[in-house]
Amino acid sequence: MRPFTYLRAPDVATAVRAISAEPGAKFIGGGTNLVDLLREDIEQPGTVIDITGLPLTGVEELPDGGIRIGALVRNSHLAAHRLVTTRYPMLSQAILSGASPQLRNMATTGGNLLQRTRCLYFYDGAAACNKREPGSGCDAIGGFNRQHGVLGVSDDCLATHPSDMCVALAALDATVETRSEHGVRRIPLVDLHRLPGTTPHRETVLAADELITAIELPPPPSGAVSRYRKVRDRASYAFALVSVAAVLKVRDGSVSTVRLALGGVAPKPWRAYAAERALLAAPATEESFTRAAEAELTAATARPGNAFKIELARRTIVATLRDLLAEGSAA
Amino acid sequence: MTSTDTRTSQGIGQSAPRPDGTLKVTGEFAYSSDLWLEDMVWGVTLRSPHPAARIRSIDLGPALAMPGVLAVLTHEDVPGEKHHGLELRDQPVLAVDRVRYQGEPVALVAADHPERARRAAAAIVVDYEVTEAVTDARRAAFDPACPKVGERGNILRHQPVRVGSVFEAPVVVTGEYEVGMQDQAFLGPESGLAVPAEDGGVDLYVATQWLHVDRDQIAPCLGLPAEKVRVSLAGVGGAFGAREDLSMQVHACLLALRTGRPVKMVYNREESFFGHVHRHPAWMRYEHGATRDGRLIYVKAEILLDGGAYCSSSPAVVGNAASLGAGPYEVGNVEIDAYGVYTNNPPCGAMRGFGAVQACFAYESQMDRLAEACGLSPVELRIRNAVSQGSRLITGQLIDSPAPLAGMLAELEAFPLPAASDGDLRELPGGVAQTTHGEGVRRGVGYGVGIKNICFSEGFDDYSTARVRLELAGGEPHVLVHTAAAEVGQGLVTVQAQVARTELGVERVTVAPADTTVGSAGSSSASRQSYVTGGAVKTACEAVRERLAELAAAHPGLTTTALLQRFGPVEETREYRHRPTFPMDPSTGQGDSHTQLALCVHRAVVDVDVELGLVKVVELAAVQDVGKVLNLLALEGQIHGGSAQGLGLALMEEVLVADGRLRNPSFTDYLIPTILDMPPMKVSILENPDPAAPYGLRGAGEPPTLSTTPAVVAAVRAATGRALSRVPIRPEHIALT
Ligand SMILES: Cc1cc2nc3c(=O)[nH]c(=O)nc-3n(C[C@H](O)[C@H](O)[C@H](O)COP(=O)(O)OP(=O)(O)OC[C@H]3O[C@@H](n4cnc5c(N)ncnc54)[C@H](O)[C@@H]3O)c2cc1C
Repeated sequence: MRPFTYLRAPDVATAVRAISAEPGAKFIGGGTNLVDLLREDIEQPGTVIDITGLPLTGVEELPDGGIRIGALVRNSHLAAHRLVTTRYPMLSQAILSGASPQLRNMATTGGNLLQRTRCLYFYDGAAACNKREPGSGCDAIGGFNRQHGVLGVSDDCLATHPSDMCVALAALDATVETRSEHGVRRIPLVDLHRLPGTTPHRETVLAADELITAIELPPPPSGAVSRYRKVRDRASYAFALVSVAAVLKVRDGSVSTVRLALGGVAPKPWRAYAAERALLAAPATEESFTRAAEAELTAATARPGNAFKIELARRTIVATLRDLLAEGSAA
Repeated sequence: MTSTDTRTSQGIGQSAPRPDGTLKVTGEFAYSSDLWLEDMVWGVTLRSPHPAARIRSIDLGPALAMPGVLAVLTHEDVPGEKHHGLELRDQPVLAVDRVRYQGEPVALVAADHPERARRAAAAIVVDYEVTEAVTDARRAAFDPACPKVGERGNILRHQPVRVGSVFEAPVVVTGEYEVGMQDQAFLGPESGLAVPAEDGGVDLYVATQWLHVDRDQIAPCLGLPAEKVRVSLAGVGGAFGAREDLSMQVHACLLALRTGRPVKMVYNREESFFGHVHRHPAWMRYEHGATRDGRLIYVKAEILLDGGAYCSSSPAVVGNAASLGAGPYEVGNVEIDAYGVYTNNPPCGAMRGFGAVQACFAYESQMDRLAEACGLSPVELRIRNAVSQGSRLITGQLIDSPAPLAGMLAELEAFPLPAASDGDLRELPGGVAQTTHGEGVRRGVGYGVGIKNICFSEGFDDYSTARVRLELAGGEPHVLVHTAAAEVGQGLVTVQAQVARTELGVERVTVAPADTTVGSAGSSSASRQSYVTGGAVKTACEAVRERLAELAAAHPGLTTTALLQRFGPVEETREYRHRPTFPMDPSTGQGDSHTQLALCVHRAVVDVDVELGLVKVVELAAVQDVGKVLNLLALEGQIHGGSAQGLGLALMEEVLVADGRLRNPSFTDYLIPTILDMPPMKVSILENPDPAAPYGLRGAGEPPTLSTTPAVVAAVRAATGRALSRVPIRPEHIALT
């Protein structure tokens, strides 16, 4: 770990001023990701600005029936919040399927969005990694790539975005609010993260001096059911091999509302638009679900280590929708 | 650790509470990483980034110039022997002119702050000429064109076993099996504190498994006589074999002697993965021939074990794989070749089960195939071939104590099967991530049988030493037990006190901290400490009793208390040896190479999500014959823990290595079972005594690790119909490819 200056920001204005004054500075929320990255010398900020004292710790109801989540709300708190468990149970499920209770107690909403990949080669300073060191190559391509992505990846980077929470947020049409010296921005969560292309080190559309202040969710689609499913290598405390966040409403036997997002398979929380298009207005049947999954996954590209993820994703999508269909008709 | 227990009737056979139990659970136990002296400085190791390279030069200048740096050392600063090792001194203290594995120590730094030491280590400039890394064990062993990893040939040991000459049978099954590299995954990383002493020697406080063998390797490297290196056991956070080789011991002592300051070294988790040996990955080819009614005629096998860059305990691991390579079955014709080889992969050595684990996965998989080929149930096939007292191992050794395998299997099979899932997500594959609510789930049941040698084998002079002192403390009799046996979490401190209570009838017993001021206790490995150190404490107590009896005879009418008052404490020190063992014949493997054998059998019941390839182990049931229960609670803990480690190997644990590089050195990426992965266990414990052992006991720590892995895999095979010839098995092997 390199030496850095530690600042504690008492309010948003100070935080924003501090970061724009210090190029290369980083905010620190729960620190559950950043501290590891500092230790491994992957992140080398000259200044670390502690934002845990900012008054962004509330979950509020919005006039339209949606909610606003402060960027410093801890993952545990959010998952247990009554507004979330009652209106967005899928978000709660997604958060609780991630990490461990101890980590969730520390992790913040903003930090969860910006956590970095768990690619083994990204963490190994001696390995080639275009994300860590642009132009150095990608050792995951010929190496262990079982955990890696099959959608949206490039020849420069196979890394996945590891968050569970973000997958649910992508399916819930979340909006991210930021503040910088230049003002306030609102960015749809699905546009927050970039695809790697030839610049995998550029992970989001945020400028270095932007502070995430909140996430807003529109009201949940009325009458829809939702669910988060996560497939992993052990029963708890493991990153997703594949995860699916789905919202489904069926009217008169056809799909009237559907939102689908995938985790563990792509460099960003992956909103499955192709699958959604295939499903909308289609009969709510196993065949439609399969066709929709396939519509999404035709674009998938696999490496020897992760080819199984395509089939795993297909089965998980279909099974999740099948569950929701049953749940919706039971309700 | 010191324990004084004043409760009554906590002798042999009682579940005496552990002195360290509450402290560990509440986070108050002092581990070796908690050692602290006000004037201490910090040691850090610079390691090779390459699996194979020549060192052209090392420039220490930049490190020496950094603030707070007190010493920077290379192999040139090792005053004595430049190499250490358990069986062969082939591992450099610090790399001399070559590095042979990624993570090999090259230089050391001591500084006044750990971060400064780390930065200084990073500033050392090593000029490497990268050379070809030998990473394929088969090529290392059998390709004459393959470069040599060390000074010797690449085959560390080849141990054949040859019996009989009939290698034809009406029923023949063959298979190739692979076991991935498992890590011991102890929680307390390598750490210790070396304190320079006024006599020019050094006192080392360290978490280890074997104080004397540490000392006997450290002293020659330091150029000191053994008595100037005093080693004391610090709090150990698990071992499982990973602390049998040296890690930071010599390094910390070198830095302490150079700086004249106490030096603390603590590996972080990542460094720990590079700082200890792992379980040998194995490639195994088996052929079993049997009669149509399932009686074994022959077993042929080739077992290839990757020992990595240095010898460690590989030769003994190969010996176990060979001698136990056909399992606890009667078979008259055997052709087994077990090989351990050098490669530029991470060094492999001791881990719970020690060579028997790998072979067990293969021969048990074969027994299942044979059962299927003969149309028999897996249990019936095993019963037909089971050894019993009076059988001979494939090494010709007579099994001369109870080995009721057939009965154990029958008992295991008769355990009621667990009920079908009631839909509780925690009981289903995928758990609370709701991957299934029961649909697509199939149940499977599998059996596994393991046989493990207890204590050191093949002629090793295996003994322990105990000093026992009966004295008055506060006017009451009190016993002080002192041995060098390492408490590594298995409960040995408690067992030593129990032995003393039983033998001397005195309730107040203190077990002194383990150190080298008493004779060697040997290693806390090979499931041997209750046997050997338990035996030593028992023997020393008997000697104390005899002395007391002599005194009493000479002074009739005096009570023990009165005798102690008049004549002072009675102290005796005794060594205890188990029956001698003998080498295996180098060309036939024959010989009485083991002193004791222990059996454990497992039944695994699994639910498999056959769509997603996820496994939930619903129940593990085990029957183990331990000869005599010393402490039921501790024993059950060993069986549960050993089974968890076997489950981990079956389903998730693997150190990923490619091109000699270790890729998942963290507990984020190296997965071990959580409480949600480990099911409740049914355990039946048998007590058929071994007359040769103290109290008739049989070592118990390792056997359950062996039989769990094949049982779990067999159950998954039963649920899915897949061949599954490699562990750990992953979702993609079960369902998706
Ligand atoms: C062992 C382990 C297992 C895990 N398993 C899972 C899992 O299964 N599923 C899962 O989803 N996650 C998992 N995680 C990841 C965990 O969810 C993240 O580490 C956590 O959400 C990050 O939040 P934080 O507040 O600690 O972020 P920090 O570490 O504080 O910050 C992360 C990044 O976000 C930036 N940042 C933080 N807050 C803001 C803000 N308000 N505005 C702008 N930038 C900001 C920081 O500068 C930094 O770059 C795991 C983590 C660990 C260590």
